[in-house]
Amino acid sequence: MFTYHMMGYYFRLGVRSLRRNPALTALMVLTLAIGVAASVSTLTILHAMSGDPIPAKSHRLVSPLIDNGPLLGWTAAEGPNDVQMSYIDAANLLKSGQGERRTAVYGLYLPVEPPRRDIPAFHADGLAVTSDFFAMFDVPFLHGRAWTGREDTRTADVVVLGRATAERLFGNADPVGQRLMLNGAPYTVVGVTDTWVPRPRYYRLVGNDRFGDGEEFFIPFATAIRHELDAAGSMNCSGDRDPGFANLLKSECTWMQFWFELRSAGDRGDLRSWLDRYAAEQRKLGRLKRATPVETYDVMEWMERLKVVGNDSKLSVWLSFGFLALCLVNTIGLLLAKFSVRAAEIGVRRALGAARADIFRQFLVETGVIGLAGGALGLLLAAGSLALIGMQSQGIAAIAHMDWQMLAMTFVISVAAAMLAGLLPTWRACQVTPAIQLKSQ
Amino acid sequence: MLRMTNLSKVYRTHMIETHALRGFAIDVREGEFVTVTGPSGSGKTSFLNIAGLLEEFTSGEYVLDGVDVKGLDDNRRSRLRNEKLGFIFQGFNLIPDLNLFDNVDVPLRYRGFDAKERKRRIEDALAKVGLASRMKHYPAELSGGQQQRVAIARALAGSPRLLLADEPTGNLDTQMARGVMELLEEINAAGTTILMVTHDQELAVRTHRNVHIVDGQVSDLVRRAPTLAAAPVTA
Repeated sequence: MFTYHMMGYYFRLGVRSLRRNPALTALMVLTLAIGVAASVSTLTILHAMSGDPIPAKSHRLVSPLIDNGPLLGWTAAEGPNDVQMSYIDAANLLKSGQGERRTAVYGLYLPVEPPRRDIPAFHADGLAVTSDFFAMFDVPFLHGRAWTGREDTRTADVVVLGRATAERLFGNADPVGQRLMLNGAPYTVVGVTDTWVPRPRYYRLVGNDRFGDGEEFFIPFATAIRHELDAAGSMNCSGDRDPGFANLLKSECTWMQFWFELRSAGDRGDLRSWLDRYAAEQRKLGRLKRATPVETYDVMEWMERLKVVGNDSKLSVWLSFGFLALCLVNTIGLLLAKFSVRAAEIGVRRALGAARADIFRQFLVETGVIGLAGGALGLLLAAGSLALIGMQSQGIAAIAHMDWQMLAMTFVISVAAAMLAGLLPTWRACQVTPAIQLKSQ
Repeated sequence: MLRMTNLSKVYRTHMIETHALRGFAIDVREGEFVTVTGPSGSGKTSFLNIAGLLEEFTSGEYVLDGVDVKGLDDNRRSRLRNEKLGFIFQGFNLIPDLNLFDNVDVPLRYRGFDAKERKRRIEDALAKVGLASRMKHYPAELSGGQQQRVAIARALAGSPRLLLADEPTGNLDTQMARGVMELLEEINAAGTTILMVTHDQELAVRTHRNVHIVDGQVSDLVRRAPTLAAAPVTA
């Protein structure tokens, strides 16, 4: 008989049983908690790294890879090995009219001169993007708005500030319409983004800071180009190039990312065809040398391509689960010891009408209760270990915290692990022959 | 109530076969108080284990309250045990970390009674053995005699048709033993059939009938004058 009443009864017996052999119970809960904490902390990091940062539209945001590398040393079997794009391609794609929205993205690191004299100048990390960027990546606004497409075209000197930068420069006041100097040129503030820290920074994964603290400012892509603002971040140049920003723009150096937003994920085929035609045309013009097909990636594929989740992270999850398995083997031994002294109770319960199945359920629920206790302690240990891991780098610290999913996962892992470990001891408990047991009393 | 015909129980190991019961036959009628006596190793315990559905028998027939128990699976045997039988052991066999209320509750849980019904039965059973005021006490806080009374309350709570008692006074001093025996006699007088294994001849003579077992067989059915009113006549 297995009703909710019985489940509650077994649960209460399980809780009561925790108090029996407290030393053995503590050892078991601790063993389980350590194993669970190790698994959960590595899993938390993996989960944070590999989660979909923009689930509503991750299939509609598509990044193209166009291989503009030299012919030397290239084989046809190779795909594009460069993950960035040249200015030539970015400028052509911006003009293409493909997709609902488009943006090129490149990183900037500029000196900022605050309008108030009492605040010293500082350097800030920002992005050169198009006006579409904000709508494409669902950037929330605290004040003002994004600049317009017209301002893109006019290469207007406008800036959208990140919330922290705006507060640093202007306090809590709405700074829209205020001016500040970026790299020695005046810009007008048109908007302030609210806190926006996607992790990972999927829209700009190239470089080391994949889990940064959010962008400090945004300016129009065309404006950045007009001001000849150098890219902050990596740049790949396969051949010699003449010095100067104008020559960089004409070169095949790659230093930016590009994103399309499609009306639906189904439009990706059309985009691919258009990009293939574009690449063929560029090859005909002699610009593209390689016959590599153009590749397109949606957000999750892009994160996979750029190995946001490193093999190290995956390996540590495997290792930690191996460790959990080791802890389970220990738990099995401890449970066998704990249950072996319960033979008399099992005998009595069997005599009083418990079927083997009842005993099995009772003891399995009891291991589940141990699992819950192990989960609770494991949660504390995991929080501690995540704090320790977070001390290693700010980027990891930013993602090394649990969400409710991981919280629930902790208990699922712990209870499942305990019950798994409990199977053999529970099965053994069911085999107690009541007759012999009762006589030995 | 309980009828065994030509029953045998053989324990087999690689080397030897031991016949604990052979050609065993007994018929206990409803309302009887029967004692089972016999020397050590005679098969008393095997008989009681089989009667209590705690052990399987090798061959023969066993009908308990109209149910042929041969070939029943564990679930049905457990259910039958729970509904029809009550057990009283020599060592009391109370669960040490449950209080008296929860100890008496154990068989009722497996029966599936609701909370109200269980509470009523537990309180009635403990009142019947004179321990209603100690429901929240733990077994270790009681004397041996009191513990055996709790065990009796536990056996009674499910209103069993047959009470099986294995040396219920074996661990008690004379005075406590007398108290427990009087309680069993009251229970029997109220209509519950009792089958009791004992070494104590004094107790044996107080019941309706004594069955003596030697070498796994019933050696002698001793007819007795009823010591209690309205005792049924043995077959």
